[in-house]
Amino acid sequence: MSRSELAVTARSLRKSYGERVAVAGVDFDVHPASCFGFLGPNGAGKTTTMKMIYGLATVGGGELRVLGLDARTQRRAIKSRLGVVPQETNLDGDLTVMENLLVQASYFGIDQATAETRAGELLAFAQLGDRAGDAIQSLSGGMKRRLLVARALINEPGMVVLDEPTTGLDPQARLAVWRSLDSLRRRGVTLLLTTHYMEEAARLCDRLVIMDEGRIVAAGEPATLVREHVGREVLELRVTDECDAEALVRSLDGRLEGHDFTEDALMLYAPDAEELLEAIDQRRYPTESALVRRATLEDVFLRLTGRSLRE
Amino acid sequence: MSDVVPSPRYAARVVGRNARVFSKLWKGALLPQFLDPLFYLVALGFGLGTYVATINGVDYRDFLAPGLIASAAMWAAAFECTYNVYFRMNETRLYDAILATPVEVQDVVAGDLVWSSFRATIYGTVFLVVVTAFGLIHSPWAILLPPLVALGGLCMSVIAYTFTALIPRIDLYSYFFTLGITPMFLFSGIFFPFDELPGVAEVIAWFTPLYHSVEISRAMATGPGPMVLVHAAWLAAVSAALFVVPVRAVRRRLVA
Repeated sequence: MSRSELAVTARSLRKSYGERVAVAGVDFDVHPASCFGFLGPNGAGKTTTMKMIYGLATVGGGELRVLGLDARTQRRAIKSRLGVVPQETNLDGDLTVMENLLVQASYFGIDQATAETRAGELLAFAQLGDRAGDAIQSLSGGMKRRLLVARALINEPGMVVLDEPTTGLDPQARLAVWRSLDSLRRRGVTLLLTTHYMEEAARLCDRLVIMDEGRIVAAGEPATLVREHVGREVLELRVTDECDAEALVRSLDGRLEGHDFTEDALMLYAPDAEELLEAIDQRRYPTESALVRRATLEDVFLRLTGRSLRE
Repeated sequence: MSDVVPSPRYAARVVGRNARVFSKLWKGALLPQFLDPLFYLVALGFGLGTYVATINGVDYRDFLAPGLIASAAMWAAAFECTYNVYFRMNETRLYDAILATPVEVQDVVAGDLVWSSFRATIYGTVFLVVVTAFGLIHSPWAILLPPLVALGGLCMSVIAYTFTALIPRIDLYSYFFTLGITPMFLFSGIFFPFDELPGVAEVIAWFTPLYHSVEISRAMATGPGPMVLVHAAWLAAVSAALFVVPVRAVRRRLVA
């Protein structure tokens, strides 16, 4: 696919704030009509990368093209074709739910009649049809998020950028946001999202990059990343103080695809974790608890950085 | 330059947003503000004015009323471009949302300033109608006062907006109001003329926007001379020269 057809291309993209390097040279391509994720802990450079894409941060260095346009010089043209769901809930508290959409439409120069039609449809899409005249302050956190998504769609964008779209939501509200993103993807809208939730990235993203300290440490499809870097299953052991974990790992030599130590647990990667557990000599290596589970993106991050992604 | 010169089309959309909010709120929360200059007129014009009958041969109420038109506009502009803008920029983060649309920083600042001076004009004009009803306006030229009130409001708005764009914390407004707005209100020739004061008083006043607005207002209420154009030029020049400062400061703050 040529560069002009890609939704986003970044080459050696950099950004510093004074001494602090937020993005330290990243390369990635986003294909149209796909869902692309940025995964990483807080401070990894995800939000800064997103802000450069939607024009709320200037490009520090390198090249960034969005929808075939240069992010340095064609900011207004890029923004007119994007939808943005920011991390902070920045709805217009002086306006009602419906007015938020109408005023948003006015910023894009959409005429009143079209704006009213679209706003009605989007409120239905966001399951807020009966809240049109309500004040923003009366909405729950989940409703505000759904309204932010609806607001981002008022200009019928080809690409929607979402910065941590479900952070702080309860499970039901999160599911509702996921469903609306699924339906956008089915319609061919390109989705770009950041998250620090593994299951969110695994469920939504066709491709993702894992970021840490301003760099991309891994890129690919979620399932492939897990298979390549970790394997199929994980045996998560909490060992007692008397247990010599290093010796335990050595005793399993040949059965392991890899291992990691975290602060309180020993992660053992193997094709069959159940079988591995049975092979451990419990008298020589006493354990407090053992958990057999499938490998996740969290394990990929731990493998690549030596740190847990949870904060 | 392209990131300083606003697009009228996009700035107009920011004006539209602010006007929509104002049209919802003015009948309720904002109504008392209209009464503010009236209290000064009653207390000073009809209270104190009973004892101070004339100033330089002019009835004290006739002297006072035009100045209060200018100050009504000043107060409206000062509040709009301090607390209101500060909240939209830093607390509700509304500007982040607007700047993620095709609207750019210079459009937001220009739109806010145009709206603020329009709002100032509403307050000034309402008070002009009130004092006309009291019979305190003596020249038909006063009908041309609203666009000149807008100019004074614009100048005040740019100054307040600049302060807002530069301060790191909201509590610093106490400096702006206590050391800036209040002294200007008291010493810009609204309540007493400069004739009997040392010349330096008028020289200092000359550097404040309110002094020029008051001079314009009083001239239009009594029959203007060519000096009105000088005062108007002062307000226009300061507004234009200062505009770039808040644009740059807001960009630094929001689109770093």
